[in-house]
Amino acid sequence: MNDALKILQEGLVKARAESSPQQMLDLIPYSSFIGVKAKVEGTEVLYWMDRRPSNIGNPSLPAIHGGVIGGFLELSAGIEILYTLDVNEVPKVIDFSLDYLRPGRYKTMYANCTVLRQGRKLVNVSVTAWQDSPDTPIATARCHFLIT
Amino acid sequence: MNLKLAIFKPILKLAMERQGHGAVLGFKVTKVGRGEVEMTFPYKQEVIGNPVTGVVHGGVIVSLLDTCCGSAAITTLTSVAVTPTMDLRLDYMHPAEPHKPIYVAAKVYRNTSNVMFCRGSAWQDDPENPIAHCVATFMKVDTQSFSLTNIIRRRFNHLIGGVKAFEKEADK
Repeated sequence: MNDALKILQEGLVKARAESSPQQMLDLIPYSSFIGVKAKVEGTEVLYWMDRRPSNIGNPSLPAIHGGVIGGFLELSAGIEILYTLDVNEVPKVIDFSLDYLRPGRYKTMYANCTVLRQGRKLVNVSVTAWQDSPDTPIATARCHFLIT
Repeated sequence: MNLKLAIFKPILKLAMERQGHGAVLGFKVTKVGRGEVEMTFPYKQEVIGNPVTGVVHGGVIVSLLDTCCGSAAITTLTSVAVTPTMDLRLDYMHPAEPHKPIYVAAKVYRNTSNVMFCRGSAWQDDPENPIAHCVATFMKVDTQSFSLTNIIRRRFNHLIGGVKAFEKEADK
């Protein structure tokens, strides 16, 4: 077996055993690039992303880059699958549909995910992101992943 | 050459390549036309999404296509306005290959008084065999609500104050 795969799978098993979605994020370099963090809150996993200058899209507002919001939601959905389902490889994203509801202001952004359907091969996840309160979401996304 | 496009190109290049998220990802704007923009992303190790294969995370492709479609939308404007994204849908056709640049192109295929419909695709070797395809819609919001002087003042604050100026602005 490939070394990188072995490290990933051992990491995933350990993270699941210790109920730590943060350890799963640490396995993926992109998560530290945009600064995504996660913790378990009750029965759900809460994902958040603190503000940082490299995530700014429009400096005259200032607002968070729309692509970073997309990346944050896609990454959260992927981690949700790894954390809640018994999957031992990074799931492959097939499609991703994102609706922007409000501008992403330059402050911490939160997200939580719901696995809407899990089949043998296909998983459908819905993700919602907010800043001030969960009642005023700034973006929602829906994505399909292929699992093995 | 169209005068407006001649002004747009350096502004777009500056906005996309020199500041914010575009700068850290290393985007390069390679072509700007009316309603058409092309960009390149060099491979970067920091944005790997799958540590086993070394493939970049899908979020990078979202950023690339969102920036490219948004830029294409801006080039069609005839008056001062902002163009927030309403929605973006992305289909991943096949995984990107590691260590290779990604090319993206976006085109506005329908432009109405309030909404712009945009299509984009990303590829590595062959444009006919894209790694991802997207459709995005943008709103046209005129900037009467926030004055030009205000924007210039913020730009100026940003130039002299750097990141601290953003944080002050955001905390208000």
